[in-house]
Amino acid sequence: MFFFFVIISLQAYDVTAKNRFPKPEFESGHVQPETITPAPRAMILEYLDVFVLIVALSLISWLILKKRSRKGVFWMSVFTILYFGFYKQGCVCAVGSVQNVTLALFNESYNIPITALLFFVIPLLYTLFFGRTFCAGVCPLGAIQDIFAFRPMPIKAWLEKVLGIIPFIYLGLAVLYAATGTDFIICRYDPFIGFYRFDATFIMFMLGAIFLLVGVFIARPYCRFLCPYGALLNIVSRFSFKHMTITPANCINCKLCESSCPFGAINMPAPVKEKEKTEVIVKRYILLSVIVPVLVFAGGLIASNFHENLAMVNHKVKLASEVMNNTNFGVKDKEAIEITAFKTSGQTVDQLYSEASAIVKEFYFGSWIFGCFIGLVFGLTLVSLTVFKYHSDYSPDKATCHSCARCMDYCPVLPEKK
Amino acid sequence: MIKEKEHNNSKARFWKSVMIIAGVFSFALCILIIGNYFQINKADPVNTKVINTLVERLNHNPGDQVLRNEIREFDLLARKAYFTNQWQIRFGGYLLFFGIIVMVISVLMMDSTKKKVQAITIVKDNKLPTIQRNARKWITIGGIALAVITLIFAFLSHNELGNKFLQKELSENKLNNKDSLTANSNIIQNNDTLNSKTDTTNVDTAKTASLIEFPTAAMMSNFPSFRGPGGNGIDYHKNIPTSWDGASGKNIKWKTAIPLPGYNSPIVWGDKVFLTGSNGTKQQVYCFDKKSGNILWTADITGIEGSPSTAPKVTDDTGYSASTLTTDGEKVYAIFATGDIIALDMKGNKVWSRNLGVPANHYGYSSSLMLYENKIIVQYDQNNGAKVMALSAQSGKTIWSTPRKVKISWASPVIVNTGSRVEIILIAEPYVASYDPATGKELWKIDCTSGEVGPSVAYANGIVFALNEYAKLAAIKIGDQPKILWENNDYLSDVPSPVATDKYLFVVTSYGEVACYNPQTGDKYWNHDFGTGTYSSPMLVGEKIYLMDKKGTMHIFKADKTFSSVGDPKLGENTVCTPAFADGKIFVRAGNNLYCIGK
Amino acid sequence: MSSEEKHKITRREFIRKGMQLSILIGLGSIAGGLITKTISEKTVWQIDTKKCTQCGRCATSCIKKPSAVKCFHAYDMCGYCDLCGGYFKPGTKDLTTAAENQLCPTSALKRKFIEEPFFEYEIDKELCIGCGKCVKGCGAFGNGSLQLQVSQDLCDNCNECSIARDCPSNAFSRVLNSTSYLMLGLRDSNKWKNKL
Repeated sequence: MFFFFVIISLQAYDVTAKNRFPKPEFESGHVQPETITPAPRAMILEYLDVFVLIVALSLISWLILKKRSRKGVFWMSVFTILYFGFYKQGCVCAVGSVQNVTLALFNESYNIPITALLFFVIPLLYTLFFGRTFCAGVCPLGAIQDIFAFRPMPIKAWLEKVLGIIPFIYLGLAVLYAATGTDFIICRYDPFIGFYRFDATFIMFMLGAIFLLVGVFIARPYCRFLCPYGALLNIVSRFSFKHMTITPANCINCKLCESSCPFGAINMPAPVKEKEKTEVIVKRYILLSVIVPVLVFAGGLIASNFHENLAMVNHKVKLASEVMNNTNFGVKDKEAIEITAFKTSGQTVDQLYSEASAIVKEFYFGSWIFGCFIGLVFGLTLVSLTVFKYHSDYSPDKATCHSCARCMDYCPVLPEKK
Repeated sequence: MIKEKEHNNSKARFWKSVMIIAGVFSFALCILIIGNYFQINKADPVNTKVINTLVERLNHNPGDQVLRNEIREFDLLARKAYFTNQWQIRFGGYLLFFGIIVMVISVLMMDSTKKKVQAITIVKDNKLPTIQRNARKWITIGGIALAVITLIFAFLSHNELGNKFLQKELSENKLNNKDSLTANSNIIQNNDTLNSKTDTTNVDTAKTASLIEFPTAAMMSNFPSFRGPGGNGIDYHKNIPTSWDGASGKNIKWKTAIPLPGYNSPIVWGDKVFLTGSNGTKQQVYCFDKKSGNILWTADITGIEGSPSTAPKVTDDTGYSASTLTTDGEKVYAIFATGDIIALDMKGNKVWSRNLGVPANHYGYSSSLMLYENKIIVQYDQNNGAKVMALSAQSGKTIWSTPRKVKISWASPVIVNTGSRVEIILIAEPYVASYDPATGKELWKIDCTSGEVGPSVAYANGIVFALNEYAKLAAIKIGDQPKILWENNDYLSDVPSPVATDKYLFVVTSYGEVACYNPQTGDKYWNHDFGTGTYSSPMLVGEKIYLMDKKGTMHIFKADKTFSSVGDPKLGENTVCTPAFADGKIFVRAGNNLYCIGK
Repeated sequence: MSSEEKHKITRREFIRKGMQLSILIGLGSIAGGLITKTISEKTVWQIDTKKCTQCGRCATSCIKKPSAVKCFHAYDMCGYCDLCGGYFKPGTKDLTTAAENQLCPTSALKRKFIEEPFFEYEIDKELCIGCGKCVKGCGAFGNGSLQLQVSQDLCDNCNECSIARDCPSNAFSRVLNSTSYLMLGLRDSNKWKNKL
């Protein structure tokens, strides 16, 4: 390991602020040492990260779509764990960049580093073109889970759909908190970053260990049921230009791949005879479509009533309410650090109240939008669950398929020769 | 074929045992690390209670060598434990990482020996409509459960947080709203009358003009604020002495030491004289007996909510209490560089206090307070968020607050009666602006100054005189469309303010030169160099100008077309403060003393 | 039937194309909208020493153990005092380096005699845990030359700094890579510059 030590040269420096004790003039010829301020990681390495991201995404897309190689994806995952994980220590990752982008959109004073913006946009673009190849082996969070998925067990298909809503709620919350400048919750509760850094709080380590242990049996639990960036990719991937296929040619319905997908992301053939009566479907479809706006409104109404609880996460609001109620952050025998710091800051209580009430107001509007979004997600999920999609072949479900290429190994069909 | 299978089996067995060993190893390490983690929290070197108590004991008993050694041992032990613990955790982490890697590899190897194709498990119940129905059902249930839980939580903790904050904040501004409402309706009424009865407007304004009583008789018979009533540099007393001598004590009634330093000037009301002092840690208000010079009371300003625990940085030539107090005869009001403002009754008891936020001011806050009809006017021109405020004299609550787009200013407000209305006139880079004292509405403004403005403005006969060093002297004809009558930059000032009458304008430079102008045209009548630097502002008393220089010599001269000196009595102690005048007396803060000059 | 099928497919295709286009436009507008707000430099976390109140949370809140926040010494501001408020516990009688006199819990602050009456103080970064006790002492009784700063070689530069969130005085902020130290007494012309 090496550090850059930039040494401050000896140069006349006039101390503008008057010091209580003047700087001595040494008679013994003693030379005053320099203040050493070690440099951060060099900028060029940040751009290298973006470059590596692009190369890795291109490579893995090629491996999946053209080479159809599970082995290649596996080794890419290993590379990702080593580079984006252990070397780069997981920051800024595409998952967390959602918050940087949101903060930049809502906060005028925040300038987003171009690398963070690129980490947000590039995987989305690749997903639009090639499906979720980013998830397959370029995301350090996904890669580590993928490798730990030793004994995947299928979970009920309907449960998969139900739990699939959670990422959207998480995304909504993350955007709400990032937009109000409160917190980056995705980063705060990133379960695997501790492993990559060999350093984390105990809770974070435990969270990571639990996810990995669960991940042995239920493959990629974080990706499927929590990842907020995955929620975005899920939507974009549905409309991807190209997407991996299970079979290189025509499906022969051999059923060999049926249980190969650890994520339950393979659409089974759904013959017409299974279809319910058309009028039942149509009736339900219309009913649910009507309900969507109601759900949107109800969601907004409920969440807006909840806005105070959401706002209490904000430290300024918390401080204001502690000051208002004289509760001293629950500290008994002495003044809480926050209260002391607030008094020292020179801000008046009025200013604090007015700032806090402005933030609470932001949260009120924010939680309306958040609630409407959640209502919309529930509504659209319900609507989509009434649509009967014909499938004559086994094909990956483009929304939830992580492009891990496991199923390809099970397909006996040989590619057509040109 | 069979051989190969056997080989595969033995391979699988091997990897399985490797996996189990690695797994057990990792698990054991995990337990150890967790154990260590809790220990590390115990061995936190920052909060070693044992050592702290031992040191406490040592302080009571400084000669105890045994105790000393005990502390040293404990300290070494605690530090060792902490760093070893950390090393252990780190090393353990690497070992665990290694164990997990071995486990992962063995599992992968084990799997690779197995046959790829597994038996086709036919999943029942995988018909699409069934799945969809189930999913719909559970999404609905989940959604409702989520909604109910959210609503319950929302209901339980519903406390109108935002509104409460607003109420807390608005309770202070309520007065303001009421005031501005009535004021607005007044304006509307006035406008109506103006529009409908054009003929009577002159009468109306004449009426209102005669109705305005400012400065009030009480103010004029006292000396309630910096530079006299309204802060315009004019005193209304008649029998002010013109000769004294500090060295011989002639006409010096008394001299009293002021406990804490400060550059604020004295104010007088009734038989009391007020000053403040502060050294950054202590802030005090003093009340002196006008007759004897005894300090009647000293009020320590402490325990103000929101007051900073450490005073802001100020320069030595501004200090922590450059702002002069003001009084209405019922209460006395003081402000300090910390942003603390306080109202005391005439006996020195606190009536209210608050902190306005530490002013961002690199030299130190120095604008003085002014009073107008139960409102304390605070010019708060700081680095960010400059504003002018009116606080209720009764409660200290903000009646109005008007933001100003200006740089920091060290000048003080000047409140003048223009005949038709009362205006608050403020100066700061880049403009001079006027505000309605009732509502805080900006009446007019005009760009005419720049730099770090120290001198306040002078007003006479509808003209405001504004100047600053390295900028210019501007005579502004006020009105809704103010205009600059004339400009000049021969004599400028960075501290003393000008003073004006209907006929003359007197400008004093910091290095001690006085210039007299025709206020209408800007023609210079005369200039005179006293040769000694001056920070204190000239005061017009009757027909005479009183100007104190830095060395403590008062230059008294006639407010006339030609320079004519009345006298140069010496006090003999350096001063930068502006004197206060009362019935037959002058009060001067010089050095660390308050002097009373009079017979 | 077949024509209906075809019709369906084209309709589906139409929706797909439309969505593809709108996603592209969406991404483009986010990127384009933010392009004016982007900075080519990365940002790092740093403490504004003027706001810091030395509450001690830097030592405990950092995800790193010991914390990436260290005490830095601006020698230019130091008075080389014998009785150093940052070195000695308040009320210390004999000014020796004995453990019972030292304020630093990990003995990371070293005291060295230079010449009568001056002493030099140096921080052993390996031992410093960023508790800020010496900083508080120096600020209260001395020139304030000891200051807490994020040591950029140790900082993992988390997207969301966990100390920043716990900091009661809002002293943490994202600063540009090229101005990664906000301490007082660093020579302006030589504040760390990024030399790739």
